[in-house]
Amino acid sequence: MGILGLQIVAIFFALAMIYFAILNYKRGELNGMEILSWLIVWAFVIFVSAFPELLRTFAKTFFVSRVFDLMVVGGFIFVLSIASISYMKTKRMEKKFEEFVRKEATSKLKESKRK
Amino acid sequence: MKILIVVPAFNEEKRIGTVLSDLKKANQKIIVVDDGSKDKTTQIAKKYTPYVFSHRVNLGKGAALKTGAEFAFKNEADAVVFMDSDGQHKVKDLPEFIKALEDGYEVVFGSRNLNFGVPLVRYMGNKMASLFVRLLFGIYASDLLCGYRAMTKKAFRKMNWESTGYSIETEMVVRTKQLGLKYCEVPVETLYYDKVKGVTILDAFGIFFQVLKWRIEWVS
Repeated sequence: MGILGLQIVAIFFALAMIYFAILNYKRGELNGMEILSWLIVWAFVIFVSAFPELLRTFAKTFFVSRVFDLMVVGGFIFVLSIASISYMKTKRMEKKFEEFVRKEATSKLKESKRK
Repeated sequence: MKILIVVPAFNEEKRIGTVLSDLKKANQKIIVVDDGSKDKTTQIAKKYTPYVFSHRVNLGKGAALKTGAEFAFKNEADAVVFMDSDGQHKVKDLPEFIKALEDGYEVVFGSRNLNFGVPLVRYMGNKMASLFVRLLFGIYASDLLCGYRAMTKKAFRKMNWESTGYSIETEMVVRTKQLGLKYCEVPVETLYYDKVKGVTILDAFGIFFQVLKWRIEWVS
């Protein structure tokens, strides 16, 4: 019963995330490729949550005794990958932003000197 | 030796006037970098120097120092002295920095007498940070977080720091060691006017992780 409850929560969570992904797509914040990628990810989550037994073969391959453990490990890897990609992107944005603001400050001073 | 004074400022309308007035009386060329202030910092600074840069948004102290130093070195400065705009650093200590630069030091760290007038939490934090940096990098700066510093053009170009915020002071110390720059410390007087500004505990956590990152990068 406990596992079933967890499955239902996971499915609802994935459905909510699909809703947010579509919402972001409609707002133009995600492009076609991105929405497709997210839909595949969340559809996979729903599928795996509904039929966890399908992962048993994978679990055996990776010497993980329980399917749940495999999902937790897989989830961690996924979250860490996303976090590291976001970190790199934020760093790059920060750098560009810093350069832009500093350049603008310098050019503003030059402009006021010319006047 | 042509030396320019770089003063980063953020919402310092109350005290920046006194700092700049003292510097002007001492015949120093000043560059002010207003780092996105919401008050009249820029307007006040413009009364004392034509070189006032205004960041449209607050980027952090490291970025402000970089803007000022880049401008100074593009305009034929041989060295710069960094000085805070909140009045805690005194112009009377400036000759010590200039003398050290003329003696051939590439980086000069100001060192406040931390036994006097410094809040206990800051004193403890500063000392622990100094020891931590010494442990990881083998360089001891008795006042790791003091913003009163000087460096030559060569040192600045070599350093090319990445910090935009308060970790800049620590990064300067770390890079000085990594690049083998010639450095010294000079004692400076300090007076704390504002106990809520400056490095917070959250900033300290950020700096701690930055230091670890620099150490890992240094190994690899």
